[in-house]
Amino acid sequence: MAQCPCGSGSGFDECCGPIIGGAPAPTPEALMRSRFAAFVHGDLDHIENTHASEVRDTFNRSAAESTAQSVEWVDLEICGTADGGADDDTGTVEFRARFKKDGELMVHHEISNFRREEGLWAYVDGKMNPKGKPRRVEKVGRNAPCPCGSGKKYKKCCGA
Amino acid sequence: MERRFSCTACGKCCHGMLPLTIDDALAHADKFPLVVMWTPVRQGGRSFGVTAELGVTIQLKKRRLAAVQIAPTAYIPPSLPCPELAEDGLCAIHARKPQRCRTMPFSAYRDEKDHDDLMIPRSGWECDTSDQAPVVYRDKRILDRNDFDVERTQLLRDAAILKPYAEWLLDAVPSLRPELHKAALKPVGGRVPVAFSTLIPRLPKVDIYAFARKQVPIMKAFAERTADDPGLVDFHQWYVDSHAEWEKVASGRP
Repeated sequence: MAQCPCGSGSGFDECCGPIIGGAPAPTPEALMRSRFAAFVHGDLDHIENTHASEVRDTFNRSAAESTAQSVEWVDLEICGTADGGADDDTGTVEFRARFKKDGELMVHHEISNFRREEGLWAYVDGKMNPKGKPRRVEKVGRNAPCPCGSGKKYKKCCGA
Repeated sequence: MERRFSCTACGKCCHGMLPLTIDDALAHADKFPLVVMWTPVRQGGRSFGVTAELGVTIQLKKRRLAAVQIAPTAYIPPSLPCPELAEDGLCAIHARKPQRCRTMPFSAYRDEKDHDDLMIPRSGWECDTSDQAPVVYRDKRILDRNDFDVERTQLLRDAAILKPYAEWLLDAVPSLRPELHKAALKPVGGRVPVAFSTLIPRLPKVDIYAFARKQVPIMKAFAERTADDPGLVDFHQWYVDSHAEWEKVASGRP
């Protein structure tokens, strides 16, 4: 049986197939995966049907179709999710979708927002190429105990 | 302070780039080679406020800001005439011409009080600013402001589409921000042309295939028109690349 393009390792018919067929997605991640699989299959109906109400008015179907046709999808990586549980009405999914355009490998990195509308998860919008949290480096004082655990002052030990 | 002005239909201002409203760009997609032009204006620069209101602001170095005008634009080299400027020197599409042309010599991209220089003919232009010409601008106010107001209303409506488009594209294309920084540092004429195809997904009613079929021949025509001029190599390359891109889109569906 054909593997699901979303990369779950399951067969398409046990994974994204039913959701694309109209079954409710249990989580934002499941919906995200099914939308990726639908893009791979060129099934733009599923993309359009799983948009939040305000997106439906601004969605350009022909442009999405043209984009889907012009790229070759490679794989999908789910980097993380937040909320989107049974008791939540919103949720986010961070993903990287790799694709080839004109032979060049590219990546679409996005944090997507989802909202429950009449019980069903729907795609609202996303932030592309989100910045990670800034790296914080703790500075060790010269006279503080050395973090290596020697008991000496930092300036007399590793900081010398 | 009064400014007198009367158009003599010399056709000199019908050359070069022409910013357009979204509707004008779509209506003339078979006539103009279209881009989305991003033009930074530094803080303290001309009409910074209105540019920020209609477009976006980006952070420059040393806590300075630049406002970026984002305008669908007929991408025509300054030395070339508008393709609709007829042999007789008049506009071939006068009845349907873009609002940008109608509002001349005023511009809704500018503050109303910032118009003095627009009524001074540029070198070679034949605008009549003599005592015979009527007063059109007095004490920083436009006297017949109908077209100015129409254009400003359209620009404000477009801004509702162009602002979120700009924020999205700045995230989606990380190289755009440094290019805008570079353009903002140029003393004059700094701007970044962006393919019009980036805007189409934001215009729900536009069929991208039909749009591509309109742009293919006009990009080809401008590529040919600029092929032999060494001063226009950048323009020429743009038309060649755009032609290939739209050709590819157009071939996606018959």
